[in-house]
Amino acid sequence: MPSEQELQISPLVPESIQHNSKTLYNLQSLTASLFGISAGILGLESYSGFLFYIVFSLLTVFLLYVVRVAPASSSVALSKGGASKPLDTSSYFRTPFEFWAGGLMNGLAGFILTWTLFYGLVRA
Amino acid sequence: MAQVPVQTIHRDPQLFYWILLPITVVMVLTGVLRHYASVLLQTAPKRLDQKALREQRSLLHGMSVRGNFHALSRSSFVARREALTTAYQSGAYLKDPERRGQPPANPMSDPDGMSGMMGMMKNQMAMIIPNTLIMSWINAFFSGYVIMKLPFPLTIKFKSMLQAGVATKDMDPRWMSSISWYFLCIFGLQSVFNFLLGDNNAASQMAQQMGQMGPQAGQMFGPGQDPDKQFLAEAENLAVIEHYSVLDGVEQRLLEGINI
Repeated sequence: MPSEQELQISPLVPESIQHNSKTLYNLQSLTASLFGISAGILGLESYSGFLFYIVFSLLTVFLLYVVRVAPASSSVALSKGGASKPLDTSSYFRTPFEFWAGGLMNGLAGFILTWTLFYGLVRA
Repeated sequence: MAQVPVQTIHRDPQLFYWILLPITVVMVLTGVLRHYASVLLQTAPKRLDQKALREQRSLLHGMSVRGNFHALSRSSFVARREALTTAYQSGAYLKDPERRGQPPANPMSDPDGMSGMMGMMKNQMAMIIPNTLIMSWINAFFSGYVIMKLPFPLTIKFKSMLQAGVATKDMDPRWMSSISWYFLCIFGLQSVFNFLLGDNNAASQMAQQMGQMGPQAGQMFGPGQDPDKQFLAEAENLAVIEHYSVLDGVEQRLLEGINI
């Protein structure tokens, strides 16, 4: 946790953090529904279906990280003159756990809905 | 242990077109309808007169100064603190200076509080009524048979809830009746509503919203609080602040940050 004085110099704006979280939430919901459709069409059963969802959700978050978060984080770190950890998301999100794994619960309901729907439709 | 044979039931393919899709379409449409109905039924925010507004805003001003004092230079901070403290202690910002020592107004009798509570109750009603109607409609028309199979297994206890009209002993809990599709839709369509209606719509996150509304309202300006005591408390908080500014030593930080 940065010290209080560091927080005052470069503050964490709540609206920006909220906007980041909301973006991530929207992305997770959309991809969860799409993964449900594909899991249903593939005819995946219980464990393999959930595993499919977890693996591909993590892949999505990882891609988001690579495309969006990493270039900006590393440029911020360079300007400060120090080395930051390679997986640092502190300039955008509150905690790393929330970034990587928080979205899984959000999308789960949409995933199960579309998975059930397409499993029933396709499998007949 | 012998492998339990997978139970398959041949079903009319027209099941899907006549049951699944209509229920889904109805739920999406009622969600959209509910959102627009709540938008139209919203009451405009109450206009306060100048003295009441000044009372609220001055308290906010004090709290902002307390929270962000580091952005001010020493002289400006001291000036603000002096002005605010004298105003608070003399009661210059109070709405009714004559009622200074008396207990605050009861929220039931004060008309300001009632409209806030009515708004919340109206939102809750708007949530409950369509859901109840849809549930009774589904139970009336779509009961007595199973529609589809869940892709993952459940425990037997779910059978009583999710296979409502079909009283069998051995059927897998994975077979669902239409009421279970209704439950799935409630949870799953929240993300769909987010896309259709934008963020912060009335049709989604019903449980979260109902839980969040309660503790937020009435923290500071609720009619149950005495503004005079709040002012005095704020004056004390301002007095104990040890001031430092982020502008101290800023030249040093700038020089350190520049890469030559």
